[in-house]
Amino acid sequence: MSALEEAGDGILAQRAADGDATAFEVLVRRHGPYLRAFAIRLTGSIADADDAVQEALIAAWRQLSTLEDTSKVRAWMASIVARKGTDALRSRRPADELDDERPGDDDAGPERQAVASSRMDALSAVLASLPEGQRQCWVLKEMGGYTYEEIADRLDLTPATVRGKLARARVTVVKEMEAWR
Amino acid sequence: MAMTNDPDAMGIGDTGYTIDDLSAYLDRGRTPAIAAIDTNAECQALLASMERVGAFGRELLAHDVAAQPAVDEGRIAALLATIGQEVRAGRDIPLTSPDPRATLSVTEGAVRELVRAAGDSVDGVVVGSCSLDGDVMAVGSPVRVALTISVVLNGPVRELAETVRQRVFTAVLAHTELSVEGIDVTVTDVHQPRRRLDEGSAS
Repeated sequence: MSALEEAGDGILAQRAADGDATAFEVLVRRHGPYLRAFAIRLTGSIADADDAVQEALIAAWRQLSTLEDTSKVRAWMASIVARKGTDALRSRRPADELDDERPGDDDAGPERQAVASSRMDALSAVLASLPEGQRQCWVLKEMGGYTYEEIADRLDLTPATVRGKLARARVTVVKEMEAWR
Repeated sequence: MAMTNDPDAMGIGDTGYTIDDLSAYLDRGRTPAIAAIDTNAECQALLASMERVGAFGRELLAHDVAAQPAVDEGRIAALLATIGQEVRAGRDIPLTSPDPRATLSVTEGAVRELVRAAGDSVDGVVVGSCSLDGDVMAVGSPVRVALTISVVLNGPVRELAETVRQRVFTAVLAHTELSVEGIDVTVTDVHQPRRRLDEGSAS
């Protein structure tokens, strides 16, 4: 497998689309950590993230022949992970529920900041405190780079709702991260 | 706090634009330009903050990726077991049988594997896609084999492609009865060698 490990994503994806499971395995090992990290931030749950990644990879294997630009296989796989991850969340609870509540609540902010030992920890805590819908919008936009339309499609929302949730998430994140310049 | 959450206010910095507007303006790449926002200090500060924490987000993800534990071998094995059941055999390519009572064939998937192995046997080459173009199910019908390859950076591209062509031709001729009309090798990528060629054994 060592020669395959040297090959670029595009070549491996083409090969996997032809049915070479070994090439697919190289892609999975190469991008698995990224997909898992993204899924954990999106779902807020390691168990959900692992399930989403596994389901997404199986779906990716089946749909590889539909991927036109094989060099973008990582982004393509991430979009399938996003879909599986958001499906899992939807099946657990209705998409809009709890959105305007703030589980973390504002006065928990300073304590969180005091406890957080680094900027990364602080951001991690802020994201965890966001209402689920807002966190998903923020993660899909800022970490995933998706458009409002794509996010709306993933979350079964309208682009206008995504715009609103994203803005509210941004306000909270900006406010909570003010100390970390 | 340099911002207001009050939707009834006069907008951020009295521009009439809300947080939602600013957030969407940021995602549009600040185009078309809105002078009222671009010249307002409060709006500019908020846009800069939104952009800054967005960059933190990508930094956090990169940090998460680096901190991931080694891949879970159990999950990889389960994945491979699942996808391994979905073999893409493709078309059946007939082989003549010495026994008229028996029909023999080789699958298209197996021939592709053969082609990949022949191409990969060339040092500095990794095969990508491989297709058999033509009516492979009709004995004697002309078939073209098309493959894409990646060659090692700074490798002798022309020579490597030609060697691939010859090896693939030899392999297909030896193991199938396809009447190969031509082999088209397209170099679509280059790759960095992970180790020096002289460290590995020559093929």
